[in-house]
Amino acid sequence: MRTLTGVGSTPLSGAGTARWHRPETALTLPDRPDPSAVDADAELARFESARDEAREAIRRARDRAAERVGEEEAAVFDAHEQFLDDPELVGDVEDAIGDGTAAEHAVHDRFAAAIEQFEGLDGPMAERADDLRDVRDRLLRALLNADELTDLADLPDGTVLLAERLTPSDTAELDPDSVAGIATVAGGRTAHAAIIARSLSIPAVVGVGEPLRDVADGADLLIDGDAGRVVVDPDPETRTAAGGGEAPAVTERVATADGRPIEVAANVGSEAELAPAADRGADGIGLFRTEFLFLDREAPPDEDEQYDAVTAALSAFPDDRVVVRTLDVGGDKRVPYLDLPDETNPFLGRRGIRLSLDEHRDLFETQLRALLRAAESTGGAASADGTDNADGTDNADGTDSTGGDGLAVMFPLVSRLEEVDAAVAAVESVAADLDAEGVDYAVPELGAMIETPAAAFLADRLAERLDFLSVGTNDLAQYVMAADRENDGVADYHDPLHPAVLRAIDRTASAAGDTDAWVGMCGEMAGDPALTQLLVGLGLDELSMSAVTVPAVKERVREVDTEEARALAEEALARETRDEVRELLDLDGE
Amino acid sequence: MERTVTVVPEAGLHARPASKLVQTASRFDADVSIGRPEDGDDGLVRADSMLSVSGLNAAHGESVRVVAEGAEAADALDAICDLLTSQVEEADGGSDRDESADDGGDPT
Repeated sequence: MRTLTGVGSTPLSGAGTARWHRPETALTLPDRPDPSAVDADAELARFESARDEAREAIRRARDRAAERVGEEEAAVFDAHEQFLDDPELVGDVEDAIGDGTAAEHAVHDRFAAAIEQFEGLDGPMAERADDLRDVRDRLLRALLNADELTDLADLPDGTVLLAERLTPSDTAELDPDSVAGIATVAGGRTAHAAIIARSLSIPAVVGVGEPLRDVADGADLLIDGDAGRVVVDPDPETRTAAGGGEAPAVTERVATADGRPIEVAANVGSEAELAPAADRGADGIGLFRTEFLFLDREAPPDEDEQYDAVTAALSAFPDDRVVVRTLDVGGDKRVPYLDLPDETNPFLGRRGIRLSLDEHRDLFETQLRALLRAAESTGGAASADGTDNADGTDNADGTDSTGGDGLAVMFPLVSRLEEVDAAVAAVESVAADLDAEGVDYAVPELGAMIETPAAAFLADRLAERLDFLSVGTNDLAQYVMAADRENDGVADYHDPLHPAVLRAIDRTASAAGDTDAWVGMCGEMAGDPALTQLLVGLGLDELSMSAVTVPAVKERVREVDTEEARALAEEALARETRDEVRELLDLDGE
Repeated sequence: MERTVTVVPEAGLHARPASKLVQTASRFDADVSIGRPEDGDDGLVRADSMLSVSGLNAAHGESVRVVAEGAEAADALDAICDLLTSQVEEADGGSDRDESADDGGDPT
């Protein structure tokens, strides 16, 4: 087993067989002919017909992207067509041909200059160089009569595609059902190709660098888009932990062997992930990340766009609960148009609810309007009390953790009770506005994410104020252990099985257990079947995870006996070190 | 004729705003060019070229100078400056403004 690291681009995991995509080798240019031997008119005609061929291919790719991914992502191909018909580019290529350059060399030379120019620019324009490469390769393929080396739209099931870099067109052709993952030598997570891979829910790690080139075709690979790593010849434990080997879907709701219902939901970060999550049998959505609506664009989404996205999620899970997290940016999640401050320590700075209650209050209110309207549209949680209910703190109803609850809304990075009070007040004020406007709405269940030690310490008071708590173990481990998620030097600290983190989870679950509030977990820990018994024993009502791990966790829940699980949890809480906890759980030390 | 305006779209002259501008410039019977005022006439590039407009790398809040010549120069200048000084619509749904500017096409 060998691990290569890159940048996790699609936070999903997949395992399969390596297959290199090397479009560049098919496009080797012939030797340059002597200018006197070039028939300029014939070359101009070749260039013209290559452009026609490329234009058709771009339009096909555009239509396919629009259908599979969405209009927003398809728009990049409009820009490709504009590059193809660019008067400067076309004029220069035609001039070069007139001077005795063969069409393919003229195209190659002019695009090389343009790509170099773009790569020298700051910011988003550097990414545009990929678009130019894409257009250039289409032209060269047509001029050189090169077939596609690999038919990207028709790869065998379980392919892990490797490439120097992927163009947006390459990526849009991929069939998410057959491609288990993507890894590239170069490229960043904001490149168009990375965005499209995310939209298609294809696990992806980009920017792995030189070491990826040593991976041979046919190698057994695990792409862990969450941790940003590519594992060559993964051992079975690593593969299972990353959800590589997928179990068949379990569509029905599950309960422990002794009958305690446990909701197994999916974490969803884009609309494209909704259908796969439903197919895998998720009991609703335990974490709907709304960031995807805000990232990779130029201005925030309006109320209607957010309303549409949330109602789409609700209609994908008509009988289940959908927990929407309000905008959680800041920290490592940058949004250029929001003018977030540059901070020495962004993870301890302006992020999550802190921004929503203050500098981005306007975005928060718009989002709440969309959410309250969406809650009504599907007969959401509080609508049973009538749409006049503007009391977000009413948790006398809707506490059944086993289903059909409609919309729920949770606030990220809570660390003070005043924040929750202010957020609830904002919900009430938005409800009053909607009421005054005569717009239909309902107040959804409200909850807080438990990601900070402060929230874990205050869990009892939070549970009194809210309908539910949801433990975000990735950030909770980071903050409890004072260990940066992104820093490999402290990776050993960043593990939810450290006794201090387990105690924070236990404190949260016990505090909620004394109230009517339900308690869930939406961090990576929830999706590890080896920890299911422990989590049930700690008293969690709901586990939410990457959809790919839902079937395995559901199977595991059915085997768990609640009493045994409780005893195991007590044992685990009594252990003094992470290694002792791992030993108890029969996990290999790492 | 010419005019100098401040770039309003948050993203500057990148991505969609650049695309829109090129589309618009190509539609008129006029030669439209664009550049930074401080770069003078030598800094002007063709507004109907995606490569040139993108290469300008003009950011939100920067001033740009738009020059138009030809039969429809006045209309072209109006349409281009209108684009440069309006917040861009996001993906779904074309705006009324585009239709009145005789876009007649693709809502993205």
